Parts: sequence; structure tokens; C-alpha cells
Amino acid sequence: MVIEKVLPPFWTWFVQAALVWVALIVVVCVFGLLLASFVLTVERGFKRAAVSIGRAIVEAFTDLIGAISFRRISGLVFLAIKESIRRRVLAVFALFILLLLFAGWYIDPASTNPSVLYLNFVLSSTGYLIILLALFLSCYSLPNDIRNRTIQTVVTKPVRISEIVFGRVAGFALVGTVLLLLMCGVSYLFVISGLSHTHTLSSENLSAMTDPQGIVEGYTGFTSTVHGHKHRVYVDPDGKARVEMRHGHVHRLEVSGIPPDAKYSLGPAEEALLARVVVYGDLQFRDRDGVDTKEGLNVGDEWTYRGYIQGGSPAAFIWTFAGITPRRFPDGLPLELNLGVFRTHKGNIEKGVLGSIAVRNPRTGLTVETEIFESKEFALNQGVSTNQFFIPRLITKASSVQIIQRKRIGPQGVELDPPSETLDHQLAKKQEFDLFEDLTDNGKLEIWIRCLEPGQYFGAAKPDLYLRARDGYFALNLLKGFLGIWLQMTIVLAYGVMLSTFLSAPVALIATLGVMIGGLFRDFMTQLAFGQTWGGGPFESFYRLITQENVMTQLEPGLGTTLLKMADVGARGFLYAAANVLPPLGEFGWSNFVAYGFDIPGEVVLIRLLQTVAIVLPVCVAGYFFLKAREVAE
Amino acid sequence: MSTSVLPGTSAETKLETTRDVVVETRNLTKVYRDFWGRQKVRALKALDLSIFRGEIFGLLGPNGSGKTTTMKLLLGLLFPTEGEALVFGKPATDVSKNERIGYLPEETYLYRFLTGEETLDFYGRLFNIPAAVRRQRSAELLELVGLTAARKRQLREYSKGMARRLGLAQALINDPDLILLDEPTTGLDPIGTRAMKDLILQLRDRGKTIIMCSHLLADVQDVCDRVGILYQGELKELGRVDSLLKIRDVTEIRVAGLPPVALEEIKGVVERHNGQVQFIGNPTTTLEELFLNIVAESEAHPGRRVRGGVSDGH
Repeated sequence: MVIEKVLPPFWTWFVQAALVWVALIVVVCVFGLLLASFVLTVERGFKRAAVSIGRAIVEAFTDLIGAISFRRISGLVFLAIKESIRRRVLAVFALFILLLLFAGWYIDPASTNPSVLYLNFVLSSTGYLIILLALFLSCYSLPNDIRNRTIQTVVTKPVRISEIVFGRVAGFALVGTVLLLLMCGVSYLFVISGLSHTHTLSSENLSAMTDPQGIVEGYTGFTSTVHGHKHRVYVDPDGKARVEMRHGHVHRLEVSGIPPDAKYSLGPAEEALLARVVVYGDLQFRDRDGVDTKEGLNVGDEWTYRGYIQGGSPAAFIWTFAGITPRRFPDGLPLELNLGVFRTHKGNIEKGVLGSIAVRNPRTGLTVETEIFESKEFALNQGVSTNQFFIPRLITKASSVQIIQRKRIGPQGVELDPPSETLDHQLAKKQEFDLFEDLTDNGKLEIWIRCLEPGQYFGAAKPDLYLRARDGYFALNLLKGFLGIWLQMTIVLAYGVMLSTFLSAPVALIATLGVMIGGLFRDFMTQLAFGQTWGGGPFESFYRLITQENVMTQLEPGLGTTLLKMADVGARGFLYAAANVLPPLGEFGWSNFVAYGFDIPGEVVLIRLLQTVAIVLPVCVAGYFFLKAREVAE
Repeated sequence: MSTSVLPGTSAETKLETTRDVVVETRNLTKVYRDFWGRQKVRALKALDLSIFRGEIFGLLGPNGSGKTTTMKLLLGLLFPTEGEALVFGKPATDVSKNERIGYLPEETYLYRFLTGEETLDFYGRLFNIPAAVRRQRSAELLELVGLTAARKRQLREYSKGMARRLGLAQALINDPDLILLDEPTTGLDPIGTRAMKDLILQLRDRGKTIIMCSHLLADVQDVCDRVGILYQGELKELGRVDSLLKIRDVTEIRVAGLPPVALEEIKGVVERHNGQVQFIGNPTTTLEELFLNIVAESEAHPGRRVRGGVSDGH
């Protein structure tokens, strides 16, 4: 699974995000205060403007903190729910069921990984339906109330404007929550029933496997074909059976009797719906000269997600893991690896490129190469499966054992880690290695991946190698996936209600849509703000666009160019602020986690929850000020 | 009850110090502007007004005279361009004053997807009234406005009169001290109109202050203690209804059971004193009285024909 934006650890993120949030709130408050002062001074004169602003600030504290009543909000929530029901929101659920019925016909369970198709479908269709629903509900509610003047009977009661805004958002969110829960339950049943199948196997399908002496070592054969696939089966003479994974799942095989004339009974599909709890490490690269680098090679891809290392050289990917203890991994390290392969010559195209896995103790430098493997380069592109390995706790077989020092270019030249004087070469003479005693230092260890074939390259990004700590509950993971949609919905609701406090319904709808789409370009805007893009800022880019100037060429020095660059510098602050105000809705979508069988980490959920609160609260407060400043009866 | 006074008189000053002022406007002005801030219309011009506790105050005026604008300014639905409006001594934009206010808007601006019962419950919640009290008050008010049987029906199924009555019920859900009624009898049949007027009088008797504006002058005359007449945003007249309507140089004597001979003698007496007889005849009742009598008689004696509010006995 591709994770382009890796979140930092929680506290690192929290401190950084809190600072940016506070700064942004201050900037928006100051800007709002200046704007209100200007407008009111023009309208009413300085003295009355000052009194009005002072009173508005005092009232804001009362309305937003002191005088909020749960009972009044519950009344407004009740109203929003009734309004939603009147607007036939349940039709969305009916539409969803209809979509599932059609999807049942068109999603091919015989595809190479049907669970990805099923899960992506249910999550994306739910997402689109719920976001659309949130968009319409939130943008049309208040303007309709103002147009029908029903708001007049509400605001003439002791209702705080803040309660009206929060009540709307909470009411619609509650309606969305119920819908999402229903959709989640139906989706679960749909996926389970869609993937449910089994195969049959009889003794006629098995043939004996013999050794050179003709002694039967076991039996092998294929199950019946169901959903476009069949599984190879191995049965030992003593009745032990193993079923090969196909299309992302296996079946349990019960053997009663003595093979081959036994009765075989295959269970339902297993491991198709996973929630792998994984541990990621930090990735560093080692170049062909054996020196550490931050980035790998670029093999010409525009998409620079993966960095590459050269085969047949000391180059390697180095993942450093922390917290590796016998308690967490009592039997050893289950490892899963996705690799990009770039071939500079065809080689044996029917075979994968060879690579190696080694485990290194970061303190002693002891490096034990545990496995030589053939990369599943095509599997990666299809997103079907990964290379799975297991590093046992007691390593008895090693293809290579050596002490390796890492080289870094520091201020004083080349630095070696560990230093040469501390090296203990006796360590490499051992025959057996304990994973935790010999290769782990205070819970830290390194996994090295190398490409063994000269002229070929391996590519990887940080999430491409992980330790599979355990498996979580799929149903819970699906629920977390729906929680992501819920967070997106809540953000859309908040923006919709806020914008509809001062815009008419259709304009609020377009504006909210604009905010959502703008959020998708948030990273790009940040890059523009920091001058990290080719072709300059917005003004320079516009100039290049209309003059068809290449982004790589330097503009002619002169007054025009200077003015353009100055304008771009001025626009940077605005772009940075806008990028932070726009909600990064795309980052709340976790359908890939669920579809590809990865548990959505609790830390990610917590970060996104906090982010949602950090967005929704100020947006609602902005809505309060907009509605407060408005004459609802005009 | 207060005597009729105009602002600025010494009598008014004396009254204001002795009675509770519920609503007070000082130089209250409202100018409607367009998007660019240009003046569209000056809806209210420097209104100075005091309304006292326990009186029914009527705002009269033709369309566009500023009645509804005044109401909305008092409710905080509009912001004054100049001057200020104080309700219970607080600025009209202060939300807390709404705790003691009931408002019946010109049209029944209620949520049509709620039932009668839900509507009262919803507005009760907005007053932070506990559930048990809400239930009790809703039942009482539905009974009062005669909608108990229709309490489970959605408002979309209500007639205009029913919606109006429910509107009144929601205005009373918090047992308010000040009730603002915008065209309270609009959409009501004569029975409903009479009931509404009776209710207004009852509320006044219970110490409530009522401000109403209406086009129907007869309704205003029937119930209001004081009226203010607005024209093009300006207050043209303010005072007690009976005082304003009194024709001081005409005397009216109503006598029952007088024979025709006595009439001639009375005429003679009038002429001897240089008076001028303008009208002698039988007074007429109002159409409203006639209608209500017919309805009451018809309910008492079903099937009988009723003439002039009196059953013909057939």
C-alpha cells in the first residue's frame, strides 16, 4: 500500500500542529477584527463601531462559552433531525442499497483480489453519498429558514446564535452517523457474502509425490474451481494438509481418514479480510559506495515516491526499527516487503530479480544475511500480494555474516558507525544468532535489503517494509474506515453551515464544494508558499503561462521580473494561510488501509480526530460571527 | 391604567417615574440600504416611545408605515441605524431579554414538518424549560387554542387559522411578560377573532404587557388601551384610545323602552337649549356581534332558523 504522506509521531505532530493552529487563529482573528472595524467605522462612525465591537466580543464569550444550554442545543438537534427526515435523507440509504445490488452483479469475485474491489466500492460509494448529503443538508438548511422566515420564531427565543450553528452541525452529524452505521453494517454483510465461497476436493484430485526412491512423501492436487480460481493443496501421508494462498485468501482443509482415500472438507475463505497491525521503521539509503544517503536514486520516474538502489553493489535500503522486544515478537519477526524493480536489461524475464535480507545490530555492526529472495515485481504493480518472510528468533542458517560499519559524511569527513576501535570481529564467527541478544540493541535493529543482480535496481519507500505485529479485527477496521468518512462529513457540514450563514443556498453549496476541492491542492499551495515549485509563484506562473515560457528557464532580469517576484513573495503569506484554512479532506480517507488489509493505527485516528475538532470548532465560531452580524429579518 | 400622554409632557414624566417601563425607544431610526450601502428607504424616523407594564399598546398605520420594522427592532431581528430600543431595560439585541418575551409573527413562521405538539415542545426547549413542564404547558396551551385534537398532525395539514392559533400558543409557551403580536387576528374567522381578542384582554388582566400591530382598526379599538399611529415611519399620534376617539362637542344618550311621545318631548327640550338633533333612531349592533349571536343560537338550538341573532321559534 502506498502511503505518500507519513505522519510524524503523535507528540511531534501535536506540538507542531498546535503552534500552527494558534498562529492561524490569531491571524484570522486580527484580520476579522480589522475588517469589522473598517466596515463598522464607515457605516456608523468610529465611536459606535468601537462600542459595537466591544459588545460583540463580550457577547461572544457569553454565547460561546458561558450561556450554552444543552437543552436548547438538543432542541435544535431535534429540529435538524426532523428536517433531514422530511427531506427524505433515508432515500440515500435506499440508493446505497440499490448501488450494492448493482455492484453485486458487476464486481467480479473471480478477480485476482476481490476483497480490494468490494471494500473500495463500499467505502468510496458511501463516501460520495454521505459527502453529497452533507453538502446539501448543510448548505440549504439555514438559507431556507431565513427565506421562509422560520428563523424569526427561533431567534426571538433566548437562543444563542452559537447554539443555532452548533445545533445544525450536531443534528446533521447525528443523522449522518446513523446513516453511516447502517451503511457500515450493510457493507460488512455485502463484503462477507460477496467473498464467501468454498471449494471441494476429493481423492481423485490428488496425486502422489514421491522421492527418488519412489517413497510417497505426500499428495498434491487442486481444489475445484470456484470464483474463477482453484487452490493447490498439499497433504502429508499423516493427514497434515496445507492449502496455497490464491486470490488473497486460503481455506482450512480438514482431512478425515488416511490419505489419499480420506474425506476432504474445505472451510470458508480465510485471510481475505485482514487488519494487519504493522510496525514501520525509518528508512535510510546506502549508496553504491557504501555511504549513507537520505534519498535513493531516481530512475526517471516523475513520481518520486520510491528511491532506488543499484544492484550488485554495497547499496542497500536500511530500515531501523525500535521497540523490538521478545514480548512483542516472541517467535521472531514476520516481515512483509513490497519492492519496485527497475531493470536496465531484460535478464531472465520469467524470474524475479534476486535480493537479500539481512538483520544488523546498530551498536555492534553484526550483520546476518538471513534470506536470498526473488522479488515479486509484478505483484507490486497489481497490488495483489507482497513478499512475506519470517526471521526466526534463533537464526541457524545465514548466507552471510559480517561486521558492517555504516559510513556517513559528517562535518569532520567520513564517520564510521560503530567506530573501528570498538569492533568485535569474534561476533561474526558464531554459528547461531539470537535475534534479540545478538542483533537487537535496546529494542533497535536494522533490516537491510539489497539487490544482488548488477544492472538491476530495487526501489522502495518507507512503508514498503514492515513488521506484521499481529492481526486486528477486520470489522473494527471497517468501522474505523467509516469513521474516516464521518470525519470528512463533519468537516463538510461545518463548512456548509458556516458558509450558509451569509451566502444563499446555491452559492454556499458552490463555495463549500470549492473549499473541498481547494483542500485537495493544499500541499501544492504550501509548496507554492515556500517557493518549492518550478516556475515561481502564482504571478510568475501566470506570466509564464500567457507567454508560453518554459518553467525551467530563467526569466529575463529587469523591472518586470523583479515586480513579478515581489508579488509572489507577497502572495506567499496568503497562500500559506489559505492552505491551512482549507481542510485536507483527502487525508481522512482510509479506504486503502481497509481494502489492502492494514489496521488503521490508533495514532492516525487520534490525529485526524483532533484535526477535525481543530477545523470544526473555529469554522463554527466563524459561522457564529457571520450569523450574529446578520439581520435575519431583513 | 395610564392616562393618554404625549412624549415630552410633564404628565408623562410623572407617569414614567411611577410605573414600570417595559419598552422604551429613543430616537429609534431604521434605514434600509442596498448591497453598496446606499439608502433605499428610511423605514422608521426617530421614534420615541414608552410602553408600560400591564397595558395593551396598538401600533397602527398603513402598509410601509414602519409598524413591523418597529416590532422587529424591538425583537432584535433588525439592528437600529440610529437611536436605541430598550426592552426590560436591556438593549433589544440582548438575547437574554427574550426569556420574558412571546412573539407572534405576521405570518405563521413555523416548521411545517413538525406536529402541533412537537412545535410547542421545540419552542419550549429553546426556553430551557424542563421536559415535564413543557409537556404540561403544551397540553394547556393546545387546550387553550382549541388544537388538542390536532396535536399529532403535522402543520402542513393545518388550516391558516389553526396555524395562527398554534402560533399564539408558541408565543405563550414561556408564560411571557411581554407579548408582541403582529396582525394577531389575520386569518382567523370571527369566532377565532373574538377568542383572540378575549385572550388578549385576559392576558392584560393577568398583568402582561401586549404590543400589537394591526390593519384591522376595529380590533385595535376593541382591545387596545393606547395606540400609536405611524405614517411613513413617523409617529403621528399617541394616546389612550377612548380619549383619542372621543367627540367632545357631541352628546349621546341611549335610552331603552322610550315611547314615541317622549321622543317629541326630548326634541323640544333640545331645541329650547339651542341644540341640534343629529340622529334619533335605533342603534345597530356590529356585524361581529350579529355573527357571534347567530353561531351561539345555532349551537343552542340546532335546526332552527335564526334571524337577527334571535331564533324565530319555528
